Amino acid sequence: MQFLLAFSRLIDRLNGRVGHTVYWMVLAAVLVSSGNAVVRYVFDYSSNAWLELQWYLYTSFFLLGAGYTLLRNEHVRIDIIYSRLPQRTRAWIDLLGGTFFLMPMALVIMTLAWPVFTESFALHETSPSANGLLRWPVKLMIPVGFFLLALQGISEIIKRAAFLMNLIADPTPHHAHGTDELAPHDLVEGDEQ
Amino acid sequence: MSTLFIANIGPLMFAMLIILLMIGYPVAFSLSANGLLFGAIAIHYGLLGPELIQALPQRVFGIMSNDTLLAIPFFTFMGLILERSGMAEDLLDTIGQMFGPIRGGLAYAVVFVGALLAATTGVVAASVISMGLISLPIMLRYGYDRRVAAGVIAASGTLAQIIPPSLVLIVMADQLGRSVGDMYQGAFIPGLGLAALYAAWVFVASIIRPSHMPALPPEAITIRETTGRAGYGSLLVVVGVAVAISYILANYDVVHPIWACALAGAGAYVAALADKYLKLDILSLLARRVVIVMMPPLALIFLVLGTIFLGIATPTEGGAMGSAGALILAFANRRLNLKLLKQAMDTTAKLSSFVMFILVGSTVFSLVFRGVNGDLWVESLLIGLPGGQVGFLVVVNALAFVLAFFLDFFELAFIIVPLLAPVAAKLGIDLIWFGVLLGVNMQTSFMHPPFGYALFYLRSVAPSEEYIDRVTGKRVAPLTTGQIYWGVIPFVIMQLLMVGTVIAFPRMVTGVLDKGTGVNPNAIHFEAPVPQDTSPPPDFK
Repeated sequence: MQFLLAFSRLIDRLNGRVGHTVYWMVLAAVLVSSGNAVVRYVFDYSSNAWLELQWYLYTSFFLLGAGYTLLRNEHVRIDIIYSRLPQRTRAWIDLLGGTFFLMPMALVIMTLAWPVFTESFALHETSPSANGLLRWPVKLMIPVGFFLLALQGISEIIKRAAFLMNLIADPTPHHAHGTDELAPHDLVEGDEQ
Repeated sequence: MSTLFIANIGPLMFAMLIILLMIGYPVAFSLSANGLLFGAIAIHYGLLGPELIQALPQRVFGIMSNDTLLAIPFFTFMGLILERSGMAEDLLDTIGQMFGPIRGGLAYAVVFVGALLAATTGVVAASVISMGLISLPIMLRYGYDRRVAAGVIAASGTLAQIIPPSLVLIVMADQLGRSVGDMYQGAFIPGLGLAALYAAWVFVASIIRPSHMPALPPEAITIRETTGRAGYGSLLVVVGVAVAISYILANYDVVHPIWACALAGAGAYVAALADKYLKLDILSLLARRVVIVMMPPLALIFLVLGTIFLGIATPTEGGAMGSAGALILAFANRRLNLKLLKQAMDTTAKLSSFVMFILVGSTVFSLVFRGVNGDLWVESLLIGLPGGQVGFLVVVNALAFVLAFFLDFFELAFIIVPLLAPVAAKLGIDLIWFGVLLGVNMQTSFMHPPFGYALFYLRSVAPSEEYIDRVTGKRVAPLTTGQIYWGVIPFVIMQLLMVGTVIAFPRMVTGVLDKGTGVNPNAIHFEAPVPQDTSPPPDFK
């Protein structure tokens, strides 16, 4: 179990690092997109490559950030019942949910998406619009994103199992979706609907 | 047994989904797991071919390349930056002073600023927290009824959900296959109508129960001329001149009405700045402060909604421009630093990820659900309702109202709306109307007790223990959760009234759209800088 926990910590560090790297793409997307509008209006010029770069960036941060979001427990839940359950029951739900919901789904989509990428890569597929970008980098994001998600799924399963075996404290990060014990600083960081 | 199972696979799949969701595992994964499970069962019984599941990566790719959804991170990011830019604080201080001396004045200020913030940020948490931190202590200090104070703050904060640019409307437009621009235009009148309704309620309540919302005492008014006058005359003159200029420019076709309002607003701003720095002292202090403080939100409204309606930017680009504007504003106010920027990017990335994964999950679900004819089952349930269009809308809204106790709007929009939209279209219901209607309804879910998010946000910043007010030095009792719950009830009722009104008068939504694209007098009137002053109550002088 100690070995598994070390593996889980490694995954957590990896996805934490990935999350903190990809979020810069948010700023990049803001700059690219507002730049596109201004350039088109002022210089009457628009480029498909720059337009596509917007959603390439968006796709990259939301797919690659999926594991990070799971690490931070920010995938939204319907917690009307969940939030009232004892810690151990919640850990069981996360353990079983991770094993039977998350893992099969992430692995199925990852497996199906891999050949889509390899085919695009082999054919040097480009976007159908003029001067569009190469397609394979963005298609690669699907299997990689789901791979990172699956990795984080494994880590979360390990942590819940260790908690249920009384090896570690409750690993669930405090999360701020609709729970009673909100503190203002959590809101500023975590909630924006 | 298995024939019975196969015949009812759609309803079973739906029932299973509800059970899985209620367990509390993240929605995105429960949705896709349920879809894959029933997909495997259906393939096993030969109801579906395996190619349906193999099409999944293509579906994910379709979600990725969807330009509309790209607006989600932009508007989120913009809201997060604005929340810390100091704009809300400045607005609440100054507008509070402006309305302060009349009965119910602080409540009007909250409604007015709530609507302004809604038109810029679209973030409920930001509005409620700012107003809870700034306006609530002042209201409690000067003897506002606690329920009134709590209700008006929570409700005004939720205006962000329905007044464009809001995330709800973007998601709704995507799910209904309509343009975001149309959805925004359609939501203007109901959204501002709600703000007007809240203000009207304050007016009526302040007459019936004057003690519940007293005017600020003279010593609380800090913006005054050296002569002691309040300076309203000067403010009225400034507003009047700006309105006249924009009216003339627009009416004699000098420039597009949106530009006319922008120019008049900019003119007022320059005049106020000149008055301040050249020490001309033509304007009263109040007029100067109000004009200067109103400029950032109005400029952002122009940058986002103005450019969308002028056709300069797509809604997605409007969001990006708004984000850039928010960064500039925060920088100008010396609030922008690396920590804030990182926090905003971090939250935006996580929110985008969970939203998009719910969408991936609901795509997996609905792909299989349609494959096993679940959509036909839903249709057969809903299309035979008595009362045709109205019967359908009443039932659907009642359903959404109840579901909103359990689900938040992303879940409602991604799971329920795709099931309802085809039926609505079949009944001849305008989908923009339908979307705005559901948007108003879902806004209610942010404020109805006990699970509305706005209530949590307010609870988190409202005093939960007795404290000593720093101005009066008196003890102030805490705001109880019960007071928050009772306070929002009148607003929930007003909300339902608005749902009924929109059902009864679809032209509130569609009337704006009938006039075709491009120049649109109705919409323009409402997002113009100066005429916003018409939303305060009639008794203001």
